[in-house]
Amino acid sequence: MAVAAADQIRSPATTYLICAAAWALPGAGHLWLGRRRKGFIFLITLPLMFACGLWLEGRLFPFEPSQPLVALAAFADIGMGIPYLVAKAMNQGAGRAIAATFEYGNAFLIVAGLLNMLVVLDAFDVAQGRK
Amino acid sequence: MTSHLGAMILFALFVSIVFAALMRDEPREQWRFGLRLFGGLVGGGILAGWLLYPLPF
Repeated sequence: MAVAAADQIRSPATTYLICAAAWALPGAGHLWLGRRRKGFIFLITLPLMFACGLWLEGRLFPFEPSQPLVALAAFADIGMGIPYLVAKAMNQGAGRAIAATFEYGNAFLIVAGLLNMLVVLDAFDVAQGRK
Repeated sequence: MTSHLGAMILFALFVSIVFAALMRDEPREQWRFGLRLFGGLVGGGILAGWLLYPLPF
């Protein structure tokens, strides 16, 4: 049943809607496409990794065009979707540069966002019938 | 878990789980790929640490 739902080729509008859902909530795209096992793995793992990044006192970088590396890190952070927006709204992710775990926290936050971008691309491929 | 090794192991665990789920479809294959990736990341990190240890900078 799940495979049948995933094998169906969708219209471009639906595909982009699935990608938007996959970005907003990690794993939502796969859950939508009937790939429940993968969807739940992403739904649990990626927000947990993001939360660990905040716990390790990493920083959610601001968009600063004058500092390209900071802007790239901010772009990666925002790949996390709603958890990123919630953390920002709760004033989390200020970062503490003198903490021993600061760089680890940054790595967790940035990589969680980048991994979610890969998950979005995978959901796109599945929606297009390529996988 | 806030030690360097603990943070690295936790990081490797998360990355391995996500890549295993992305790259493989069958649960058995996911376990095999995930365990190999986890071992490679942790082992590679420790090996790189020892190789860099003698460097003066």
